[in-house]
Amino acid sequence: MVKSNSFATICHLLIIAATYVFLYTPIIVLLVFSFNSATFPAPWTKFTWAWYEELLASVHLWKAFLNSLIIASCATLISLIAGVLFIFYAAQGGKIGKFLPLFYGNLIIPETVLAVSLLGFFSFAMIPLGMTTLILAHTLLGLGFVIPMVYARFKELDYRLTEASLVLGATPIQTFFKITLPMLRPTLLATSLLVFILSFDDFVLSYFCAGSTAQTLSLYILSMLRSEISPVVNALSAVLLVLSSGLVWIFFSLRTRTKIF
Amino acid sequence: MKKKTLSSEYPFAIGIPAVIWQILFFYAPLLLLLVGSFLTWSDTNTFTGVSLDKFTFFFRGSYLSVIASSLLLALSNSIICFLIAYPLAYFMAFKGRKWQNLLLFFLIVPFWTNFLLHVYAWFFVLEREGFLNTLLQWLGITSEPIIFLNSTFATMVMMVYYYMPFILLPMYSSLEKFDVKLIEASYDLGASWLQTLRKIVLPLCSRGIKTGFFLVFIPSFGEFAIPELMGGDRRMFVGTVVSQFILGDETGSFGAAFTVFSCVVLLISSLALYFFIDWLLKPKATRW
Repeated sequence: MVKSNSFATICHLLIIAATYVFLYTPIIVLLVFSFNSATFPAPWTKFTWAWYEELLASVHLWKAFLNSLIIASCATLISLIAGVLFIFYAAQGGKIGKFLPLFYGNLIIPETVLAVSLLGFFSFAMIPLGMTTLILAHTLLGLGFVIPMVYARFKELDYRLTEASLVLGATPIQTFFKITLPMLRPTLLATSLLVFILSFDDFVLSYFCAGSTAQTLSLYILSMLRSEISPVVNALSAVLLVLSSGLVWIFFSLRTRTKIF
Repeated sequence: MKKKTLSSEYPFAIGIPAVIWQILFFYAPLLLLLVGSFLTWSDTNTFTGVSLDKFTFFFRGSYLSVIASSLLLALSNSIICFLIAYPLAYFMAFKGRKWQNLLLFFLIVPFWTNFLLHVYAWFFVLEREGFLNTLLQWLGITSEPIIFLNSTFATMVMMVYYYMPFILLPMYSSLEKFDVKLIEASYDLGASWLQTLRKIVLPLCSRGIKTGFFLVFIPSFGEFAIPELMGGDRRMFVGTVVSQFILGDETGSFGAAFTVFSCVVLLISSLALYFFIDWLLKPKATRW
């Protein structure tokens, strides 16, 4: 243990506790009021499931939810396939690593700027805004994570295993699918999960590139926040929190060394 | 150097889709934005020439102050996030290794939930008759409800709430790699708490601090949803102005120019900050 007096330790623990109180107070208040029968702002009145029932019955919301699901899945899948192909070529001895710095920009540039430039590009190329443009945009987010992370892991792999496989007579393709890819699997899964969540929760790109036809969950929530404050949003938050806890749980149980940042 | 066992027999085309996607949908749009902000068009949509008009348009007090307030927002947000994240990162990396997974889990769950829901959650806390006012009145600190919403305070709270993990995670990853014995050694050799912080811990996580600082600083500069939802319409930030120009009917090209203009400011200030932080965190031959 670090030598330090107990007063300092207690202070430190208090600061940690305060940080988590800061993080969780709004969430707990929100959850509590999702069961309150009166609409906010009103004190606690009576326990009810009514808002959850209303949430289940809300057609527009589930439509937006489905849209977000489709966009996030497509963006994840495309960036994953592009990433695996990139690594495949590198694993066959191709010199593609020099293109790696191209992908660093995606995380550095403010998302607002990316969104604005994409909007200009789409109108210049006369691509109508909608689901397609959202998938295009979100895939960029995905590539920015998948390519650098998977490539970094690929570089860490023990090359002797590949060599052994080749010496023992496997073809380069067999080696890739039976040795390299299985070793990369946890990293691939972890980054896919990350990309999926980033896309699913994304607001800025959706706000600019959605047009009027495709409504994502974020945009739907925004319209709910702007119009009326209804406890249905509380119920939705509860559902989404449970979902994201599940995903974080999966991410942790993959036990990769994948760093979110 | 070519590896003996493998030399690519596959056409370059196999590895290239990601690169093409990146160039086509990332670099081309950015280039278009940059070029577009210099070009001028007449009312009938015919090309008339190249000029700096749109930039000189922004070179006046009101727009410069918008940029200044965005810089200030981003800077104060990064500093507050750092101050909150530092004790937690240190604790997770050195003192509470037993708890680190649990702490990380509870940190990432809100971080991976749609941030608009957190904006909404803070309404509940900061409302006139919300949780915080009820609590303060119950404790007898105030008798009248305080108006928290639609203020810079509310904006700051939400910004810090949302961006804190962005600096915590890189700081934690760089600290986690180091052995706690380094710190013990420093104390054993008679260094004070401040000296250990200054000469051992901060230099150790200097990379994480720099990464995290810019992961907070850069997106906060362009942030528009949080100031708009939490801060009311009192103050304008770069993100707000850009979104108004871009989504307006006739003002798209001004939006492009303003985006480029503020990006240049962001780039210059980020570089300056980078060198400043680098200098600040470098171990120096001073007594403290």
